[in-house]
Amino acid sequence: MSTPSVQVESLSKRYRIGAMRNDYATLRDRIAGAFRFRDPAPEARDLWALKDVSLEIAQGEALGLIGHNGAGKSTLLKILSRITEPTSGRVILHGRVASLLEVGTGFHPELTGRENIFLNGAILGMTRDEIRRNFDAIVAFAEIEKFLDTPVKRYSSGMYVRLAFAVAAHLTPEILLIDEVLAVGDIEFQRRCLGRMNEVARSGRTVVFVSHNLESIERLCSRAVLMSGGAIAKSGPAAEVLAYYVSRRGAAGDDTDLRDFPDREGTGRARIVALELLGADGTRADAVEFGASFGIRMHYEVSERVTAPTFGIAILDQRNERVVLSNSQEGKLTFEAIDGPGRVECAIERANLLPGAYFLEAWIVDTTRNAFADHLRMVAKFEIVASADVRDNVAALTAPERGYVWLPSRWSIHP
Amino acid sequence: MPPTHPLVTPAAASRPLVIQATRGWRSIDVREIWTYRDLLLIFAARDVKVRYRQTFLGALWVMGQPLVTMLIFTLLFSRVARLRADTGTPYPLFVLGGVILWNFLSGAIQRSGNSLLGASHLISKVYFPRLVVPLSNIVTDLADFGVSALLLIPMMLWYRVAPGPTLLLMPLVVLIASAFALGVGLWVAALNIEYRDVRVIIPFILQIAMYVTPVVYPLTALPERYRQLAVWNPATGLVEAFRATLYGTPLPGLPLLWSIVASLLLLVSGAYYFRRMERLFADIL
Repeated sequence: MSTPSVQVESLSKRYRIGAMRNDYATLRDRIAGAFRFRDPAPEARDLWALKDVSLEIAQGEALGLIGHNGAGKSTLLKILSRITEPTSGRVILHGRVASLLEVGTGFHPELTGRENIFLNGAILGMTRDEIRRNFDAIVAFAEIEKFLDTPVKRYSSGMYVRLAFAVAAHLTPEILLIDEVLAVGDIEFQRRCLGRMNEVARSGRTVVFVSHNLESIERLCSRAVLMSGGAIAKSGPAAEVLAYYVSRRGAAGDDTDLRDFPDREGTGRARIVALELLGADGTRADAVEFGASFGIRMHYEVSERVTAPTFGIAILDQRNERVVLSNSQEGKLTFEAIDGPGRVECAIERANLLPGAYFLEAWIVDTTRNAFADHLRMVAKFEIVASADVRDNVAALTAPERGYVWLPSRWSIHP
Repeated sequence: MPPTHPLVTPAAASRPLVIQATRGWRSIDVREIWTYRDLLLIFAARDVKVRYRQTFLGALWVMGQPLVTMLIFTLLFSRVARLRADTGTPYPLFVLGGVILWNFLSGAIQRSGNSLLGASHLISKVYFPRLVVPLSNIVTDLADFGVSALLLIPMMLWYRVAPGPTLLLMPLVVLIASAFALGVGLWVAALNIEYRDVRVIIPFILQIAMYVTPVVYPLTALPERYRQLAVWNPATGLVEAFRATLYGTPLPGLPLLWSIVASLLLLVSGAYYFRRMERLFADIL
């Protein structure tokens, strides 16, 4: 267990925004340019997706990578899987690598299940012999025996995902890189996939797993690395790093100043500086009563006038998946511009969410520029609680086992 | 759940792989491409299968297009312009042979030229030597070429034209033609990464190139000074040589020799340029 299987040495990756995406060169420009003075080059902005990252992963270790969008997780994985080159630094890999940045890469809808197994397997780096050897196991894992010779365009989305994952699950590299692939499929199948990956990790292979699903990271990985702004923010036992990650998100009832909240993106012309949870009586609350009304108050500051802003909030589950979303545009709240500090309130008539822990996501959209002025993900934690008598009457179960939404319903029977 | 297959780690005998920034020219890793030969063939098989899944339409397209071209040019040139093949080959047959090889060249150049863009979804998700993509396209185009060449059998029987012993050289001519098309295709593919308007220009250039190349007219139909120019076009020697091996007419010696040299130069330089540009591709996507 002592030999490192992946050594990452002061790895950096720079992307040139602007120069690449917005104005790609044309041959015509280049030829025309030869006959006149060069136009000043479009202003290229450097974006360091990774900054001097060093990391060692032992053989047989299952490492979880967490962090918000743009923290550098996916870039790191892309370099490890050789899709893109680093700008500086290096990686030493001891053993064969397979990466799974997506399930069903290269599936062709016109081809049959059987043909796609071979195609996808080859794309993922298996030889034809390997695929042939694992063929029956793949088919059994995907439970598609009857549809082997049917073009996959006729598959249900569930079958498609099962087949795609089944191929991937039978990769046998020494190092397996996985990005967010479990976000698909039904719960039962996700469980089987997790079990399968657990098996892979226990069999002495090295697994690097990127996910925003904290629960699966905790189950699968012994060690976790939290990335932030292209660098490693914290590394250690998975439970510890996850706890640290969640704790930094603060509780909505707190008077947390969000000016320094790191997990945000946007132009910054307007910034969300505080979020407050309001109880049924309109005063500050720490938790929301199930079935009661509640509200969310957003305090903002403006550094540069924002015209036609839209405010939004979303409620996320603990796995960072959106449960529900609301924005001021739907609420028919429109105004011309904001150019100073202020606050917006969103009143919610009824907390129809099952008791459990939730997170808030909040944003201000600069509508005229079609960009986020500020966007905070998983910013604050809050709870929906139910008093004992409600719990007895409505549902003994809480989210997420029961789902998230409470559907007021009346049953009748007509035998 | 019981393990569904033995999870045996093969001995990590391979040397550690070092990933770091590369600069300038990079070597063409032929050994690595060889280890990915299964993928190359599977890509090619996929494209062939998808094309011929609807067998009738697929074959009809591949054979119908040269047939119609032959009819049009026979009508235009042999009836209207009174053009004759210098070698005595019946004009329709002369055109058909030329068009079949030309279609292969231009199709392969276009397809391998656009291959990276077509596979961009894969390239952003998984590693494999990027050269595999245009290479597999050539294999697919060779399959199409084989199918359309079947047309020649009934046509040659009809016109009672038999190939001579030089027919044995035809595979060699096709191989050089493949190298030529791949070489140009690699240049186009790499230019495509840098300049996005290349994709629009290429079909236009190829269309002009067909008339500059002696496809539907014999080289001898050109005035002497233009003939001197035309032989510098590597496709000239290829088209003429392909027809010569088919119909048992004399091989174009010097033009063919030049085609061989030019094709190899294009292939090697194209592969190096491609390797130089390919690393940018995943970042531009």
